[in-house]
Amino acid sequence: MALNMLGMLAVVLFLWAVAWNLPGVRARQGLLLFACYFFYVNWGLGFLSILIASSLLNFAIGSLLRRRPTAGPLWLGVAVNVLLLGFFKYLPPLLHDRASYILMPVGMSFWTFQGLSYLFDIYRDEDIDPSLLEFSLYMAFWPTVFSGPVCRMPEMLPQFREKPSFSATNISAGALLMIQGLFMKFVLAQLLAPGVTAGFDQLKSGWGGADVWLLGIAFGFLLFFDFAGYSLMVIGVARLFGIQVAQNFDRPFLSTTPSKFWTRWHMSLSFWIRDYLFVPLAAARRNAWWPYATFVFSMTLFGLWHAAKWTFILWGLYHGLLLVGHRLGQQAKRRLQITAPPYLGVFLSGAATFLLVSLGWVFFRANELTKALSMLSAVVSPGAYLRFALPRDFYVLTIAIGLTYFVFSATRSLLVSWRTRYTEALSCGAPSAVGPRPKDLTLTTGGVIDFFAVRLWWWFAPAVAILTAFAGLAIYKQSAVITVTPFIYTLF
Amino acid sequence: MEDVNQNQVDQIIDYVVREVIRRPGVSIAADSPLVSSGLIDSLALVNILQKLEDVTHMRIPAGKVQPKDMDTVALMFGTAKRVGKPRR
Repeated sequence: MALNMLGMLAVVLFLWAVAWNLPGVRARQGLLLFACYFFYVNWGLGFLSILIASSLLNFAIGSLLRRRPTAGPLWLGVAVNVLLLGFFKYLPPLLHDRASYILMPVGMSFWTFQGLSYLFDIYRDEDIDPSLLEFSLYMAFWPTVFSGPVCRMPEMLPQFREKPSFSATNISAGALLMIQGLFMKFVLAQLLAPGVTAGFDQLKSGWGGADVWLLGIAFGFLLFFDFAGYSLMVIGVARLFGIQVAQNFDRPFLSTTPSKFWTRWHMSLSFWIRDYLFVPLAAARRNAWWPYATFVFSMTLFGLWHAAKWTFILWGLYHGLLLVGHRLGQQAKRRLQITAPPYLGVFLSGAATFLLVSLGWVFFRANELTKALSMLSAVVSPGAYLRFALPRDFYVLTIAIGLTYFVFSATRSLLVSWRTRYTEALSCGAPSAVGPRPKDLTLTTGGVIDFFAVRLWWWFAPAVAILTAFAGLAIYKQSAVITVTPFIYTLF
Repeated sequence: MEDVNQNQVDQIIDYVVREVIRRPGVSIAADSPLVSSGLIDSLALVNILQKLEDVTHMRIPAGKVQPKDMDTVALMFGTAKRVGKPRR
């Protein structure tokens, strides 16, 4: 489903102007909720009714749970949410044409998980006491209602109660995040989308081994630019209102282990799985193998969360096995006392993680299981590496985008570390570090970065806006008609 | 931390450094962030929770524990005190 960007922007501006001047907390929250529902109802009154029903049910069960924080009401809440999600999301694919009239409300996978986390948090004695108005706003908060990030009540509630402060910092930070997100989605993801679609959907067979690796890598970057770009946009929109939503991605392809990858990719959902599923389940038994089984189970459910398709289930299972394999590998390395030079070890581990994660995207993106298996069989057939079915241009484009990502991310990390060094030196009052003739080049560079970083709005936003315009023009010239692909995660 | 046995705190710190972090030269204090800093991962969190049960002789229901409640050794003992029950 396409995102009505212009409508969204109009609601933002309208709300911003009106809610800003409302003095009372309840009036402001009420108007925000009205706007959230007004926005959501664009996708159907029936969908809105289900969202309201889910909010009321979760709030009622939450109230019961607050009076009796025992397993009974918690399981009741889990059952209600799972049944609702199951009915709308998993029943139609099981019944095929017989249930084609059942449509899943937009964003249901995301706000159901928000409702569940609220119940778990109350069960864990979190100090949260939202009113029905506040809880409904939390469930329907329009920047995140479609595709997350999956928010948590303890982070959102204090922000809903505070009067938003009109600050240049929030506006510039929010606008910058939105511009970065727009650039990632409408330039970078758009560049990769046609090649990925052609490679996965138009080819029926005949992939070479290198083709499959390339498609996995290209789709990984496409999904990252699409979903991380989307996340940055909604985080930026919320920031305009002075509301901070936790980040959803943190340089995931620089992860040096599968375990680290899952602390950097779709963080709001992966931390949800960790906090509410993996840790309670893994700690329930003391068998050596139990945590590993829990890894596999949790990640398989993670895959199933996307859709009731074997490809997603296998994608989750694959990642569960990767996590287990990584832990067993670490144990074997320690037992055999295998050591490698630190930088070489980190590089090899990072490269292996990137390639294995990329291979996993084949399950995620292939529309059918048979296609995924056919593609993966090319990876393990030495003869298939002599065959190339994808155009040379797509190889060049993917490699160029990939290399640019790594160089950009590594450079950014380095510059951030220099800036941190500089600010630490500044806070310690080291005169040589901050004086007019610093001795250390990294501190000088850190100082320059800090100067421009605190004045980001001067140069970064105009630069990215101009770059976006030029890139958009270039794409337009290439393809004459721009077909913007829908945000991938709105499908889940 | 006043009413927490220092010996128990030292046991957990020692366990985290020797069995979890395993990096030469790395030491932690009772208030060092572990989860939020990325020093420990989800599996280590589970292992530490079980070690905490052994050290405190308490049953700590994992369903009542959030990773943020285990971010520092000091917080771990606060969590054990809050939700732990004596072992039978």
